[in-house]
Amino acid sequence: MSNFKIDMREMNNINVIDLKGYLDAHTAPELEKAFQDLLEGKKFRIVVNCRDLTYISSAGLGVFMAYIEDVRKNNGDIKLSNMSPKVYNVFDLLGFPLLYDIAKDEAEAINKFNTLQY
Amino acid sequence: MAKFRKKIKNVFLMGSGSTLLLLVFLSDVAFRRGGEIGVGWITLLRNLFVLVAFLEFYVVIESLWQSGQNITKKLGFALVLTIVVGAASSLLFIVQPSGFDIKNYSLIPLGFDSIVWANIYGVVLSMTMLVMLLILRDIIFSRRRKGTSRNFIILIGFVAATALSTLANKSMESSLLASVLFGCSVLAIVLNSFRLSWIVYLSKREKIISIVYGFLIFCLSIGFDIITSKGTDTGKSLLFYSQPLQSFASTMALFSTIYFGMTFISTLFHLPTAEAFERKTSEVSSLHNLSRLVTQVFDFNELVDSVTTMTLEVCEAKSSWLEIIKTAAPAGLLGKGHRGLEVVTSAPKNISQEEIHAIMNFRGEALRDLVISERKPVVIDSVKNDKRTKHLADVKVNFSSMAVVPLLSHDQVIGILYATKGVEFGFDRDDVDVISAFADQATIAIENSRLIEKSLERERLMREMMLAQDMQRKLLPQELPRLWEVDLEALSTPAFEVGGDYYDFTMLDENHLGILVGDVSGKGVSAAFYMAEMKGIFQSLSKIYREPREFLSKAHDTLVGTIDKRSFISLIYGVVDLRCGLMTVARAGHCPMLFVSRKTKKAEFIKPVGLGLGMGSRSFFERTIMQENVQFAEGDIAVFYTDGVTEARSEENGEFGYEKLMEVVRSAVDKSALGVREAIVTAVDRHMDHKPPEDDLTIVVMKWIKRNNNHGKNISEKKDEQLQN
Repeated sequence: MSNFKIDMREMNNINVIDLKGYLDAHTAPELEKAFQDLLEGKKFRIVVNCRDLTYISSAGLGVFMAYIEDVRKNNGDIKLSNMSPKVYNVFDLLGFPLLYDIAKDEAEAINKFNTLQY
Repeated sequence: MAKFRKKIKNVFLMGSGSTLLLLVFLSDVAFRRGGEIGVGWITLLRNLFVLVAFLEFYVVIESLWQSGQNITKKLGFALVLTIVVGAASSLLFIVQPSGFDIKNYSLIPLGFDSIVWANIYGVVLSMTMLVMLLILRDIIFSRRRKGTSRNFIILIGFVAATALSTLANKSMESSLLASVLFGCSVLAIVLNSFRLSWIVYLSKREKIISIVYGFLIFCLSIGFDIITSKGTDTGKSLLFYSQPLQSFASTMALFSTIYFGMTFISTLFHLPTAEAFERKTSEVSSLHNLSRLVTQVFDFNELVDSVTTMTLEVCEAKSSWLEIIKTAAPAGLLGKGHRGLEVVTSAPKNISQEEIHAIMNFRGEALRDLVISERKPVVIDSVKNDKRTKHLADVKVNFSSMAVVPLLSHDQVIGILYATKGVEFGFDRDDVDVISAFADQATIAIENSRLIEKSLERERLMREMMLAQDMQRKLLPQELPRLWEVDLEALSTPAFEVGGDYYDFTMLDENHLGILVGDVSGKGVSAAFYMAEMKGIFQSLSKIYREPREFLSKAHDTLVGTIDKRSFISLIYGVVDLRCGLMTVARAGHCPMLFVSRKTKKAEFIKPVGLGLGMGSRSFFERTIMQENVQFAEGDIAVFYTDGVTEARSEENGEFGYEKLMEVVRSAVDKSALGVREAIVTAVDRHMDHKPPEDDLTIVVMKWIKRNNNHGKNISEKKDEQLQN
């Protein structure tokens, strides 16, 4: 499926991943690679902006779970932001809000990084 | 019958022809002893008789003629014919008949014997030339192109016209018309004499034969030109017999002189290229054979064997062998050497495996690497002097030049074909081309056998998959628990061969029914494995840890060590007390349970907090999971399901969603558990426009049918509510 897109930005030592479209078993490897690249580059302060994410499947959720441990071990975090109610519901069903910082918007997520030092 | 009629016809034609010729002979004896008959019409009639007789003979010969013979045989026949007629002419020379006197364009026989000899000689020579014409026709027609038959017919037309124009002439009389027509005939002869393309296709041996034959016939034909010309005694005999026949015979003699002269010369010029042509032909035919083998024979060894054998035969190589590379080199490794390659030597010809090993092990791999990285044939003209093979001087090799050709498939080198020759500079461009062609065939053979191997493997996997599907079906409950307190219905349809959805029931004791619905993340085989593990965990732990919250925590403990980081299992687990209709529900990241009250028609999603199984640490999971109690009254319905229901989507309608599920169940609340299940399935199917589902879909419906005192209220208590035992 080509209706999935990842954009990466870096601002103030925080890396923002913009997700767009349909994140499922077919497109999950792309996100996986994005995380891998960040970790290889020792970038552990990551915000995933889900504003344009329309759907996420269990395989997509699995990608976040695969990297959270490594990121936190390195005093970093993966924070999620700008979720639509529908996407939030999927994260919520699985209990993601218990494990992950889910912010209302990107600024809030970045702010959390800046105020709370790991 | 037809054969018999043909025979009769031939006998009649021969008979009448002979009779006509006899009549001519008798008339000659009777009237021409003293010289030419002055009256033109008698000459005309006599000539017509002769012509008709020969036409009849022609028809007979043509009907007995066999066209489909080998050209060299035809040439041999022509040679024999010319020799026979040459002998006949010589005989005439030896016998020395009295001869003729010329007077006013007329020939006057000087003796009776002259008349007899003229008759015999005229008949024999003309018949011979008739047969010669047929031979020439067959040779020219053996390779036809545009205009071949047209040109030949034009020639015959001119020859016939020349002959006919002299029909009424006296023996020595000549006309301008006849001369012009004769000139045209000569032009047509020259034109037809360029039809020599058959020479190209002769084998070397046949070419030599045709040079010898062509030369002999050419020489004899010159003799004919002389003996049929007007100036000689033999020519005069012919003229006396019939001027049209003399005209025909001399033109034919000229034709055969020119044509066989041309044959001789062009065969001579073709001789040096005969070998190359023969090789090309054998290349084409061996390639043809090979490609036929590739499509017909699936025996890999037999195919590579014929590849090296043909390389040997066609290129006259000293030895040949094939290397098959099992693991093609990834692009990044190119240039760094390919020591990791798995190389198998196959079908060595005239060389032992030991010799190949010796060659290849002693830095011979450099040669292999070169071919792999170049992906082009490499030719070593001199093994001794070439720096790429200089090292082979230390290894005893019995060849002096080498051709090394890669087997390319999708730009990957999957093998290498080697050929060697005993002489230096042994491989020319043609050799490399033909070896490359053989290499291509070998590539196809290797690809074919790999594809077959792959398809067998695929078939085996398919069978395994079917087995897995069957096994998985058996993991789901084969029958529903039969209880009078509740009406139960369940359905699970995997979207792929094996799915990740799971549901199960268990009786914790006689009063407590456990209902479990789950979904393993991902699909296919891995999901099915986790599901099987889950089944084991459920059946063993549910009876020990009776509280849903507790059970899910323990299940998490068990799973978290084995499950992949990216995977998780979402579960919802309800335990219902059959005595009072109180259900305790705990949820591990799964879709919430739908509860619909029959009395109030109120629908509610029961969604206690809880992480998916396999997520978070043990203590964190245990700390966060909650459970809720739900009180059932008569007719109340609980629906457990997987996201295959709520996330069923179509282009036009979007996702099925929770609201719609709620609506469907609410409007089916009076139906049985089966009725509710069918209502959901029908609604989802309609939503999907009857397309097959993309995800596994599982529905478990429980309808409380026991009339209990405790009716009415349903209790939804969050947090740590203890299950009453």
